[in-house]
Amino acid sequence: MNCTPLDHLLTWSGRILVALILGFVLLPFVVVLIASFNHSSILTFPPQDWSLRWYAHAFEYDDFADGVKNSLIIAAFGSTLALVAGTGFAYVLNRYEFRGKATLHAVLMSSLVIPNFTIGLGLLILAASVSIPRSMGLLVFLHITIVLPFVVRSVYVSLQNFERQLEAAAESLGAAPRRVLFTITLPLLLPGLAAGWLFAAILSFNEFTASLFLVNQRTQTLPVAMYNYVREYADPTLAAVSVIYVVAVAAMLILAHIFFRLEKVLNVD
Amino acid sequence: MLIDPKLQQPAEAVPGQPPARPAVKIDGVSKSFDGTLALEPTWLKIRKGEFLTLLGPSGCGKTTLLNLVAGFLEPDKGELFIDDALVTQVPVHKREIGIVFQNYALFPHMNVLKNVEYGLRTRGVPAAEARDRAMETLRLVKLDQFADRRPKQLSGGQQQRVALARALVIRPKVLLLDEPFSALDRNLRAAMQIELKEIQHSLGVTTIFVTHDQGEALSMSDRIAVMSKGRVRQIGSPEEIYASPADRFVGTFVGDANLLTGTVTTSESGTLTLDLAGTALTLPQSAAPEAAAGETVELFARPEACQLVAPGTPGAVPATVSFAVYQGAHVELHLACPAAAEGPIMLRVPVANVPKVGAAVAVALPEAPVIFTGEAQ
Amino acid sequence: MTKRPFLGWFVTPAGLIAIGIAASFLAILQYSLRAHVPGMLDPGGFTFDNFTTLLKPAYGKAFITTVLLCFWTALFTLLIGYPLAFAMLRTRSGWVRGAMLIITLTPLFLGEVVRTYSWIIVLGNQGFLNSALLGLGLIDEPISFMFTTMGVVIALVHFTLPIVVIMLAAAIAHIDRKLEQAAFSLGAGRVRVFLTVTLPLSVPGIVAASSTAFAWTFSAFATPQMIGGGQVVTISTLVYQVGFASFNFPLAASLSLAGLLFTIAVLSIFNLGMRRIERQGAY
Repeated sequence: MNCTPLDHLLTWSGRILVALILGFVLLPFVVVLIASFNHSSILTFPPQDWSLRWYAHAFEYDDFADGVKNSLIIAAFGSTLALVAGTGFAYVLNRYEFRGKATLHAVLMSSLVIPNFTIGLGLLILAASVSIPRSMGLLVFLHITIVLPFVVRSVYVSLQNFERQLEAAAESLGAAPRRVLFTITLPLLLPGLAAGWLFAAILSFNEFTASLFLVNQRTQTLPVAMYNYVREYADPTLAAVSVIYVVAVAAMLILAHIFFRLEKVLNVD
Repeated sequence: MLIDPKLQQPAEAVPGQPPARPAVKIDGVSKSFDGTLALEPTWLKIRKGEFLTLLGPSGCGKTTLLNLVAGFLEPDKGELFIDDALVTQVPVHKREIGIVFQNYALFPHMNVLKNVEYGLRTRGVPAAEARDRAMETLRLVKLDQFADRRPKQLSGGQQQRVALARALVIRPKVLLLDEPFSALDRNLRAAMQIELKEIQHSLGVTTIFVTHDQGEALSMSDRIAVMSKGRVRQIGSPEEIYASPADRFVGTFVGDANLLTGTVTTSESGTLTLDLAGTALTLPQSAAPEAAAGETVELFARPEACQLVAPGTPGAVPATVSFAVYQGAHVELHLACPAAAEGPIMLRVPVANVPKVGAAVAVALPEAPVIFTGEAQ
Repeated sequence: MTKRPFLGWFVTPAGLIAIGIAASFLAILQYSLRAHVPGMLDPGGFTFDNFTTLLKPAYGKAFITTVLLCFWTALFTLLIGYPLAFAMLRTRSGWVRGAMLIITLTPLFLGEVVRTYSWIIVLGNQGFLNSALLGLGLIDEPISFMFTTMGVVIALVHFTLPIVVIMLAAAIAHIDRKLEQAAFSLGAGRVRVFLTVTLPLSVPGIVAASSTAFAWTFSAFATPQMIGGGQVVTISTLVYQVGFASFNFPLAASLSLAGLLFTIAVLSIFNLGMRRIERQGAY
């Protein structure tokens, strides 16, 4: 290809455009990083004094500690139970025909379309009408319904790529269906299951809107605790929390990229 | 050829002993998919220790039949017996069969040893014994030094031997081989055929082998069942199948074939006379006892049974050389012949003795050729 | 022979969850048809009043605001998402591609609250942006981003960008590069190849990404709530307000239901468009 001055102009303006877009994505995180070291409790730019006190405060603030604990419990239980239910369902979805399959599929995947505030409100009203307390159990169920479609999808794709002949081979070697499942099918699906579980856990840990409808003081999750903090206080504690969050997520993605190549995971190769 | 003569005549009737019970009995089994008949009702008995090949083109029903024996499919009608026990309703994992799949289906998450042990562990064989027996079988296929490798780290031939060891270690009542050589390159394929046949023979395991490759079928089988369109067309030893095909399909599918169209002139008092596009041919009536005068028949002859003779030789069919293909040891001659049923007549001549293209020649046919009547057209 | 091993075992947990989902949906439906008794959490008798209430201008305005937010967000997200996705795929350096992927994806895993809070710091009257502009002397008075539709759209574009970029990148990645090479070989310049080959062939991805951007924006709550601060009223913030400020759960239920029907209608239109595009067979 011959490069005319116009081509160079095109290339460079493209690069500048992309850099500006990436700058837009990064801007709030850079700002939050600066803000988190602002000494005063009133944010000013540029900060007059620097300190780490908001990080210390973030770690001392009980609501955050409780929120982290609650969120971890809910994410662990929610995504694990969703993995169990979702794997089973993806399996029958992939393998069998049965009455009501399409309906069941539509209902389980509906949370992809239904706005989260509607899901939260629905479960809140349901719990109120049948007198179920707003407990951790209810939140776990809420999170299962929200993350289940992602687990089903992830496992279903793995099952589609699964070589069924390996199961036939195991069967011919005398393995009963259950043994085939536990020694062949599940071990070979493990990468898909792990990816589905991890994605579900992250989604669940971050879920805010639907949870807001169902939490109480005792069960509030980290995102809800953070939201409540912003409403009550204007100091940069949340900036410190956000920085920790961003660093953790970015580190996780960098690791994921090194080990799995993100472009492959996302099918944009 | 490494085939033991004893094996070519499996122990059906040892004098003084009752005939052996069949290892596998297929009793009127049929199968259709979505209303399309994949396998017509089929009866087949496979003797203990026999190597039976299901040979046919793709879609002929051979794989369906194999899957029925394995238990991956349930027959619409008919019953299946393995060692005299009714197994029609027995699930795959209780059938005591060993299968070598086309792509081997080795478990990628287990090493070679674990793959081979698998069938023993499912049977509750203690770990130490399973290990010993698996190693022993791996020695049989000369792979004992690869026990720790993953299947992906092995070559195609090695993977196939692992698959074979995995199927054999459980001492199956029947060994099913589903096109096991199709993924191998040609040289390796020939070596593996010999090795498989030797192992099968030494263990005396009843084997059903599915293939579309007639060369494999002829070189390995005790008996061949040639299948087409969901039906077994002929079953017999490789020699029978090759020398006396039951119908045109078997004759043309197995080996090279020359077909000539003729009309029956007379068929009486032990003699059959045919008119092959002007050439009169006299044959014993036993070649086609039911052929009536005036009927159109097809005469079938293998290339090596035909001879190139001088034009005008009585009883020989006139032909013209259309082209010659040099093949190293010999030359393949293609002849245009008015009597040919389809395509040219083909025969092989020594390199030293090749007529020119366009030369008029004549082909002497075998004295007792196979005649296809009725469905010939 | 069991032809369907585990069917019962595997369907049951999913079935129980489905029952829960269906029941909570029915609960909304049921509440939407019940009267609100002020001061009481339990609803009253059967009525259609909630739906007639929704016809009031205040509620209609929330619908219009939400639709406008969805439209502007989808538009701007596509406009900046497409170049990003395109550059991500076409860069020759694996290192650059990895960095772009990580930068783009990080916001996806941060949750709405962290992202919205960060934007508050950027957009506030004493925030980063205004301080910077004032400091540079570009403006004399702070610009109001907070409590405006523009501020909410900026934050929502940031919110929907990762998923849109992923979807666009997947669509562009599946365009056969040979088609572009063929166009180059026929003498087309880079701009023409892009406009006549690449862009038209990524239309299915663009439609799918817009539909997702719409659904995400419609569902967003923290962003309009925190940045809109009561001045930008969307369906999501209104449902929350009606529910938790007035405790009028029957009205909140009917509002959610109306929103849901609206979402389904819009997504169906997207689906229809998608199918029409696919039927043309160009893809």
